[in-house]
Amino acid sequence: MAITGSSSSAATSDAPARAADVVVGLATYNHARTAGAVVGHVRQSLEALPSVRWCIVAADGGSTDGTLERMREAAGGTDAFVEVPYTIHPADALDVPYHGLPGRARALRAILQEARTRQARACLVLDARADPPSANWPAAVDPLSAGELDYVSPVYCRHPATAGLVHGVVSPVFRALYGLRLSTPLAMEFGCSGRFLEAALGETVWDSEREQRTIDLWLSTMAAVGGFQVGEAHVGGRHGSERPDVNLATTVSQVVGALFSEMESRVQVWQRIRGSRPVRQLGERQTCEEPALDVGSLIESFKLGYAALQEVWAEVLPPMAILQWRRLATQPMDGFRVDEALWARTIYDFAMGHRLRVIARDHLLRSLTPLYLAWLASFIQQTRHTGVEEAEARIEQLALAFEAEKPYIISQWRWPERFRPVKLRR
Amino acid sequence: MRSRGHAGTPLWYKDAVIYQLHVKSFQDSDGSGTGDFRGLLQRMDYVADLGVTCLWLLPFFASPLRDDGYDVADYRSVHPEYGTLDDFQTFLAAAHDRGMRVIIELALNHTSDQHAWFQRARRAPPGSPQRDYYVWSDTDRKYADARIIFVDTEPSNWTWDDEAQAYYWHRFFSHQPDLNYDNPAVLREILAVVDYWLSMGVDGLRLDAVPYLVEREGTSCENLPETHAVIRAIRQHIDRHYANRMLLAEANQWPADVRAYFGDGDECHMAYHFPLMPRLFMAIHQEDRFPIAEVLARTPEIPEPCQWALFLRNHDELTLEMVTEEERDYMYLAYTADPEARLNLGIRRRLAPLLGNDRRRIELMTALLFSLPGTPIIYYGDEIGMGDNIELGDRHGVRTPMQWSADVNAGFSTADPDRLYSPVIADPVYSHQAVNVTAQQHDPAALLHWMRNMVGLRKLFHVFGRGSIEFLNPDNRKVVAHVRRYGDDQILCVANLSRFAQPVTLDLSAFSGATPIEMQGYTAFPDIGETPYVLTLGAYGYYWFELQRRDV
Repeated sequence: MAITGSSSSAATSDAPARAADVVVGLATYNHARTAGAVVGHVRQSLEALPSVRWCIVAADGGSTDGTLERMREAAGGTDAFVEVPYTIHPADALDVPYHGLPGRARALRAILQEARTRQARACLVLDARADPPSANWPAAVDPLSAGELDYVSPVYCRHPATAGLVHGVVSPVFRALYGLRLSTPLAMEFGCSGRFLEAALGETVWDSEREQRTIDLWLSTMAAVGGFQVGEAHVGGRHGSERPDVNLATTVSQVVGALFSEMESRVQVWQRIRGSRPVRQLGERQTCEEPALDVGSLIESFKLGYAALQEVWAEVLPPMAILQWRRLATQPMDGFRVDEALWARTIYDFAMGHRLRVIARDHLLRSLTPLYLAWLASFIQQTRHTGVEEAEARIEQLALAFEAEKPYIISQWRWPERFRPVKLRR
Repeated sequence: MRSRGHAGTPLWYKDAVIYQLHVKSFQDSDGSGTGDFRGLLQRMDYVADLGVTCLWLLPFFASPLRDDGYDVADYRSVHPEYGTLDDFQTFLAAAHDRGMRVIIELALNHTSDQHAWFQRARRAPPGSPQRDYYVWSDTDRKYADARIIFVDTEPSNWTWDDEAQAYYWHRFFSHQPDLNYDNPAVLREILAVVDYWLSMGVDGLRLDAVPYLVEREGTSCENLPETHAVIRAIRQHIDRHYANRMLLAEANQWPADVRAYFGDGDECHMAYHFPLMPRLFMAIHQEDRFPIAEVLARTPEIPEPCQWALFLRNHDELTLEMVTEEERDYMYLAYTADPEARLNLGIRRRLAPLLGNDRRRIELMTALLFSLPGTPIIYYGDEIGMGDNIELGDRHGVRTPMQWSADVNAGFSTADPDRLYSPVIADPVYSHQAVNVTAQQHDPAALLHWMRNMVGLRKLFHVFGRGSIEFLNPDNRKVVAHVRRYGDDQILCVANLSRFAQPVTLDLSAFSGATPIEMQGYTAFPDIGETPYVLTLGAYGYYWFELQRRDV
């Protein structure tokens, strides 16, 4: 039986909805620690825009830790704080995704519908887990309201190595497939125009089981390929969104799985796109610190993974790739380098394995984790003490490698029986 | 139960790849020896995996089965051997869940003589509305200009009925009396049948034997204006009540005559291109593109929402009605070493035996079919190269059980082999031990994988279903070359009809500056310049190229 999330409304929904120029939506689930601060910060930011009518819309997934109470307190009794209900299925709560929000697609739909009802010209969906809250989003309001942009994705001030999965897999694959240079296509935050939300609400994805996990990627993909004007806003730092109860293999499986599933459903689109284009940048780019990561343990994890998983990899990787990874498993730390083309082809080969279901998809995707750690170790080695600009240059080089290898995945996709995995014997 | 579906574009049929199957032949779920809907349900993942987007089911209604179900005894029920209405609805929902549409048969020209309407009519007084559901006469000399279609079995289009003390009209078997569309009650009955199935969720109706609905003295009784009026009435009814449904006309006629079945876009959405099919076989046998180019040159333009249905083989004989006598003789000489293979004016063989089981020729013909303007139809079993059995009589030899595995009864049924509705193919080349789905699924080089890849590739490009066609005319007539265009897409298709390698020089100057990308391997060929473009094709080789412009 389906239940509904937050249904009591601070501003009762019986009254006709007051029009708002800007709607800020928050999808929450047991985020009491941060949600109040986020609402307070948003309210403060919006109040600084005196000529703008605004509204904060909360879609809560049935929090039990006082999340709603914290948000109401922070809203300070304003009738511009509205709670909207959405349907949560029992399965949503049983299988909470890596992002921690059960039924996230339905929550976002509820927010976008409220924005449409209020005739919003711009809608920002922010992450209630951010600590401190993402700043600088107001920079997106004007271009969205004016119709100059339809979709704004965030750029966080962080070293690429601290978001390796995004920079090493999601972003370059997204760019190669859909031709748009977005730093964070799978962010939990975005801004959109009235035109975009109208188009998005007209689609039928919102109740699909898959999209409860991957709706953010679906939205950014729609923005990229649907003829919309897309921009990026430099919104500041990014902290506090990691879920300590979700291990890396699960995150890899769910994030990369989302990427591959979207790839499968958009095949007619991405196979026809060549090259990539930059997007308009909003706000000031900020500098950030290089993280302290233990490369040795990353490489050790890869080597352990190699010993345990090489037979699984042989189900999806061609022999030459297996040999290259084998050579890496014997490399000392100093010479440890993962070639960009090898990494790009490896991701594409996993995408093919995922498509053909050569083994259970979750098992396959989890087995990518040690390879990802190897790439991350290599990336850190190459960019250590070089500064964030050099790290970003490396990321750009990687993205170009994914674009250069795109014909490889197209040919594999079109004629998959050329794909000849070999099984290794230990 | 109402099935889901019907979302998406109204022109879905233009981008479709249709898979034609007979429920009785696909999978038996209960050991009866006859396939059924529950069996078909078990095989839905197979057809979905093949990549087809639409299933066309041969008749599955209550019937004495003297014409394999085209002799319908009750339009609203499922033949008990195939299951129940619930089973059909479960199947329909399963197809829609997998993104596939479903087309069923509407045999509207005639019924079985066992249909309640006919039994009532023959006992009703002459001139009564009940009697007038069918076409009666005191003489068998009316409509003498109408040809006999089943020349091998029927001496006349009239048969005497003792009960009625009159002759009744039938364009096909004598046990299939033609309905009388001059009686408005008949059209009302048929529209009620249409409502029955479309309201259940069926996506399309194949209008069987549609040119013969109405008779007029002094005419061939084919393609009459009154017949088109009936079709328009059906179409208007559907458009008024349902979204995204499709009517497919079975009109075995010359293209100019078939054109009329599209009307002004207000009759059928689709119609078969019957004359193209034998000419594809002629062209590959003659190693000359002329028959293909000639018949397509004679094919008129059709309204924008309309579409040709293209096929290499189907459940009937390879019909040679729409060729000249000389062409028919050529086809008989070329393709029927065994006179038993001839039936009526056609050849009752499947694709693989017709092409000598030559993998390269099967691929070439399929690639050609997929590259021409229209929606392709794959006949069940042809994706694995199934054979036939001409000893089985009528057209039963191409309707044998689907060969799923090397197990007993080809994995089709657990029944005693003697109880199968038809024996499985047993000859050494095409037997189920040699040709079956399971083996091909495990063989990366099998025809099944090639077919799946080609279906997938075609679906990537709407240009194949929607684009224009323009033939290039290279000096070497063993090579067919044409360009398809739709929006920004430009696809060059080149095929060698010869069993030997062939060079070809193409004038591609209109595409100067473009890079031909071979579409299967996504391999870039040398850029096109102002000078003639030279290609070499291996025996029965073919290429599909995307002509990519640098500025796009």
